[in-house]
Amino acid sequence: MSGESAAPAAARRAAAAPGAASATELLAVENLRVDFHSGGRHVRAVDGLNYAVRRGQTVAMIGESGCGKTVSSRALMGLLPRTARVTGSIRFEGRELVGLAEKRLRAFRGAEISMVFQDPTRSLNPTMRVGDQIVEAVRAHSQIPRASARQRALDLMRLVRLPAAAERFEQYPHQLSGGMRQRVMIAIAISGEPKLLIADEATTALDVTTQAQIMELLKDLQRRLGMTLIMISHDLGLAATFADEVLVMYAGRAVERAPTRKLFEQVRMPYTKALIDSIPRLDDPPHMELNVVPGQAPNLAALPPGCPFAPRCPRASEECREREPPFSEQEPDHAWACWHPYGPKDDLR
Amino acid sequence: MSADAPLLEVKDLVQEFTVRDSSGAHKLTVHAVSGVSFVLEAGEALGIVGETGSGKSTLARAILQAPRPKSGDVLLRGQNLGALRGRTLAEARRNIQMVFQDPYGSLDPTWRVSQIVEEPLVAFRVGDREQRRRRVAEVLELAGLDPARHARRRPRELSGGQAQRVAIARALALDPALIICDEAVSSLDVLIRAQVLNLFERLRSELKLSYLFIAHDLSLVKHVSDRVAVMYLGKLCEIGPASALYERPQHPYTVALLASIPSPDPRAAPTQLEATVHGEPASPIDPPSGCRFRTRCPRAQERCAAEEPQLRMLGPDQYAACHFPVSEPAPAQAAQ
Amino acid sequence: MAAQPSSGGVAGAIALPLSEQSVAPGGRLRRTLKISIPAGMLLVIFFLCFLGPYIFAVPAPTYTNILDANEGLFSAHHLLGTDQVGYDILSRIFYGGRASLEVALAVNGIGMVVGGLFGMLAGYIGGLRDAVMMRLIDVLIAFPGIVLAIAIAERLGPSEFHVILALTVFSVPAFARLSRAATLRVREETFIVAARLSGTRRHRVLLRHILPNILPQLITFNLLGMGIVVVLEGALSFLNLGIPSPQPSWGNMIANGQTVLTAEPRLVIVPSIALFVTVLSLNLLGDGLREHWSSR
Repeated sequence: MSGESAAPAAARRAAAAPGAASATELLAVENLRVDFHSGGRHVRAVDGLNYAVRRGQTVAMIGESGCGKTVSSRALMGLLPRTARVTGSIRFEGRELVGLAEKRLRAFRGAEISMVFQDPTRSLNPTMRVGDQIVEAVRAHSQIPRASARQRALDLMRLVRLPAAAERFEQYPHQLSGGMRQRVMIAIAISGEPKLLIADEATTALDVTTQAQIMELLKDLQRRLGMTLIMISHDLGLAATFADEVLVMYAGRAVERAPTRKLFEQVRMPYTKALIDSIPRLDDPPHMELNVVPGQAPNLAALPPGCPFAPRCPRASEECREREPPFSEQEPDHAWACWHPYGPKDDLR
Repeated sequence: MSADAPLLEVKDLVQEFTVRDSSGAHKLTVHAVSGVSFVLEAGEALGIVGETGSGKSTLARAILQAPRPKSGDVLLRGQNLGALRGRTLAEARRNIQMVFQDPYGSLDPTWRVSQIVEEPLVAFRVGDREQRRRRVAEVLELAGLDPARHARRRPRELSGGQAQRVAIARALALDPALIICDEAVSSLDVLIRAQVLNLFERLRSELKLSYLFIAHDLSLVKHVSDRVAVMYLGKLCEIGPASALYERPQHPYTVALLASIPSPDPRAAPTQLEATVHGEPASPIDPPSGCRFRTRCPRAQERCAAEEPQLRMLGPDQYAACHFPVSEPAPAQAAQ
Repeated sequence: MAAQPSSGGVAGAIALPLSEQSVAPGGRLRRTLKISIPAGMLLVIFFLCFLGPYIFAVPAPTYTNILDANEGLFSAHHLLGTDQVGYDILSRIFYGGRASLEVALAVNGIGMVVGGLFGMLAGYIGGLRDAVMMRLIDVLIAFPGIVLAIAIAERLGPSEFHVILALTVFSVPAFARLSRAATLRVREETFIVAARLSGTRRHRVLLRHILPNILPQLITFNLLGMGIVVVLEGALSFLNLGIPSPQPSWGNMIANGQTVLTAEPRLVIVPSIALFVTVLSLNLLGDGLREHWSSR
């Protein structure tokens, strides 16, 4: 691949910003709460989220729809609608993002924190050539002349492994396949050389083979550009293959966090176990019944007291229905929120 | 209608569409399904897997004659559906029902659950009002829904999983022999997906149903299928017993699909995907000559461009359409 | 059925969480108010126009006593005064409103039923028959609107019935177009396919599936259209091609009043306010209903 100067970028990252909480900690989220007040309805989409991401890590935020993973990532970028109220703390390289004015946030977006969304069809302008859209992104972050911006856009296209970059430059989004459009989105997202890239269900809408290719691309880019990656997904299998650490969310709160391998080998929280169990494994015998939990996702507008997973949990007790378990690190590097977690002696089958 | 004919027999099914190109000036032909044949016995579940452009959903619609395929035969219990018209077709077709991908989209938002489930019974004038009401309650329970709580609801008051169960109940109403599930769990959350997959399994064994289970992911059809077929660009690449296909895939595309599934076992080494498939899916408008997969296949040779491979037996009841299947020694040099 | 789209892959597997779905600004109370207030206004207007004369003792709209001419507002027997000929304004407002509203209801009613069904049929059947049907509609639309209305009114002579006829030439094609577009959209929905696969016959699909799903749009269009028709009727009457004198309509009241506009502006202002309030209420109600239905 030509052009991409990985060395200076990585060097920049090595020199941590002054005032950072720790040289290795890029992002620290503390007690994040997002409330939506709309037409008399009040929904707490995120309820007290705590996590930190180290430089160069890949963290997966896993959960089903409505768990708050997308809302919390939008909060990071300041992309929530006006009906949302964000409290708590989001510190990026030591700088507080919550409450920051839109103008200041814009300086972060694209240049420091960038995002790739699920549906490239809706994120790309259908009336603009893809090359021009990348150029636009490039020029948003640096005042370089058009000719250099075009060259940089072509370099980016090659970096994201778009075949025949020069031809594709002139094409419109509808002329590209879904996988190619997503690569364009990634090119736009990394054009500002962000330190943190958030992939919000970036591969959900793609074919399996394309999904695998895009994930490999993201990992490759991460290594080359020294980026930190947060991947948001409902697919635990994806997290298992590509993430260093997994954070599982349910009903707006974190319920388990651990390095990937530890999470799978020593799962504690029953919801995480349910997620793991629900993945059909290729080496299972055919017609095997999957281990399922009953019920459906909770209604965020009407959560029962206690642990939000209690209505569906096979291990729920009265205590679970009355008091909400705190999310805390109970084993080295392994945090969870549960009154009756699975222990090392439990048979996890 | 013969008694020992297979439940469903599809012979050389071809389906094509005309679309306009991006300038609007020329008409192009989309070769959605190009000669697919298979047999489904009663009580059997066949999984059909393919990515975008594979033609799997078009195949399902063509089997149902909605719209009719361009050529080829569809025999339901020996009866050729292509030769039937109007009410006779409708009568024959009541034995095949379909569950769609979008749980809400397949339910009329202005109707109530009980009306939705009752619709097939009304259309075929089954029983009187009371009998229909009882049958509706029966199938709702079979699908895991409490009739008392849900019968009067409208689709927007249901969760995704509940809506899909209503669709399943509707499909069961006429006691069909075959249910086609067109990506029926793809839009559901993972935990609900597992519930519904279990439901499909349970219904299969309790009611002796047959399935055509269409999905884009090999892992999704694993639990429900006896046999699995893999499609690419309108053609069948491989078809065989489920366990054999997963353990000893023959066609390079099957290998690629298996390799793309992210394994939930973090100890497994990350698969080298580049070795199994490269490039972008080709277009069904202008499919490659010879073997349609050759433009992405790491094993492609000159022969693959010149001669289209036919399905041949490579294992007990396992067929693949490939000149250089994975079980045979690798060709000398990839011709790319 | 259409082939799989060749872009993108499997449609999004994750629904937007509740908090991300767009909710109309305001909320349930505001939405209800947006419907109930204009609806209430319209009820009052209808009540006054059709029942008003029996509640307020007013002379007949065409009764005139030259001695009573040119009375101002709030005079002894005439709440809104009289005009230069001696007609009681209040009475003419009531009866004029009745005429205007009758025209609006009739025109839009016929439009929605005839045009709506026509368009729905064309949209569902498709193909050559659809094309032929819509070309017939195009013929009607192609005529320059107001000219056609004028021509009809002139040919047939002014009367309420002829006004309704002339304006129906507008509303039927408009409803047909809308109904066809809505039908085309609904026709592609999966539940229509599911209904056909369940064995439901085409006429039942049309009546029980397509129609209920396009009805909200037709009704909204109806309400918004009523405002337009009221104004059009006013225009026709202003040109003396509508409701003939001495029968009142808000339009011809404005027409008659404009000759003495500087001397007695009241004669123009009062019917204009009536027209304005009615059309505004119709539009607000149409908007409110549209918002309510699309947010479900």
